[in-house]
Amino acid sequence: MNLAATEISGEFTSLAEIESHANLAACLQCKKCTSGCPVSAMADIKPHEMVRKVQFGQKDEVLASKMLWQCTSCQTCATRCPQKVSVAALNDGLRRMSVAAKSPTKSAAPTFNSIFMNAVRKRGRMNEAGLMASFKLRTMRLFEDMGKLPMMLLKGKMPLWQSAAPGRSEREELFKRAANAAKGGKS
Amino acid sequence: MEGTAHDYQKSTVAVSKALGLELPEIPGWICCGSTSAHQSDRLLSIALPAKSLAAAEGKPVAVGCAACYSRLKAANYEIANDPEVRKTVAGVVGRDYDGKTEILHLLEILSRDIGMRKIAETVNKPLKGLRVVTYYGCLLSRPPEVTQFDDPENPTLMDQVMEAAGATVVEWPHKTECCGAGYSITDVGIVKKLTREILAMAKSAGADCIVTACPMCQMNLDLRQKDTEKASGERFDLPVFYFTQLLGLAFGISRKELGLKSLVVSPDKVLAAHGISA
Repeated sequence: MNLAATEISGEFTSLAEIESHANLAACLQCKKCTSGCPVSAMADIKPHEMVRKVQFGQKDEVLASKMLWQCTSCQTCATRCPQKVSVAALNDGLRRMSVAAKSPTKSAAPTFNSIFMNAVRKRGRMNEAGLMASFKLRTMRLFEDMGKLPMMLLKGKMPLWQSAAPGRSEREELFKRAANAAKGGKS
Repeated sequence: MEGTAHDYQKSTVAVSKALGLELPEIPGWICCGSTSAHQSDRLLSIALPAKSLAAAEGKPVAVGCAACYSRLKAANYEIANDPEVRKTVAGVVGRDYDGKTEILHLLEILSRDIGMRKIAETVNKPLKGLRVVTYYGCLLSRPPEVTQFDDPENPTLMDQVMEAAGATVVEWPHKTECCGAGYSITDVGIVKKLTREILAMAKSAGADCIVTACPMCQMNLDLRQKDTEKASGERFDLPVFYFTQLLGLAFGISRKELGLKSLVVSPDKVLAAHGISA
């Protein structure tokens, strides 16, 4: 552990607890979360370590962790924890903090999320073909999985047009109110 | 479910009709925000489902997709258990919602409201000898405080439905393992690794096919199966059905109505071997 990077004020730890609603102090480090985690074998920070590193204020390491974007939110950790600490919820909170802090990541997930949420705001429902096209353009992964396209078209799994939900201006207002409420810290 | 999972939609409608179950859509429903919402915006991840749930005007909400189910249930849980959240969400959505609308996965409706007896009585072409493994994935049963679906480690609702349809349900340990879900788009490596483990376990358990209750699970196991085989050098050749498709076959509903043509790994050989042809 890099002690120089430890934030001793405890501010990061408190912010992570508030953002994630995860009761980290209850963690016993029993590693039951890590034992059941489907991606722990490839993780740079394993679930039980994530809790500890947040408690120790290892902000930079935690927010740049690859694990934040490998965790599948499968909820096995939260289900099996004897102390009801949800590392899945913690990771969600840390992801939001990581994006807000513009921490470095190689994952395309934050880009995908922003495209997806934009589509929800504008259309209310997904148009999968449009979603994939925007994602591929933004990430320049133009050829990945393109071999699947003809087959998906043939199987009717990628309709080029799908109807949007009514009420676009109402949705724009909803998103604005959510952004304002989040600024007021009331969620 | 009108896009990548249109076959789930079709077969759900067909099976529901055969059981006399009506499933009108919520007027003006919107996307729950899925993984992207809970990863990026906590308030919207509750407010988006709350908007659709409020529009249901207190009527029970039936859900086919396990991910939508999980997000709707999580919104209910947060709103019903935290008055502050309820107030904030009401301000965002523009109306108060109490978090008490009942949310049911189709499997719960089949088990609780229709009953296995009625299902068995509706079966006219039992899936005799067809060895299936039931794959529930993550989000139906976890976390149990939120979804209250079934046993989180060993759910059996889909097993009961498949048995009522005449199939042989094979025991296996991967019922609730994770397939990688939404990383199918952003980090395929994770999905390939996890689905390989699931497919290999289903194969060694001696299954003829896998049955799913979630569009993400079905897509990851079916659409990517050939790639997974190529990468690992194994041969699985396991058709991956929605439970509504197999139930529909047992009800004698046509393959076309059940969208069987949309399955990527062809089910023809397995179905023919067991004399199943609707």
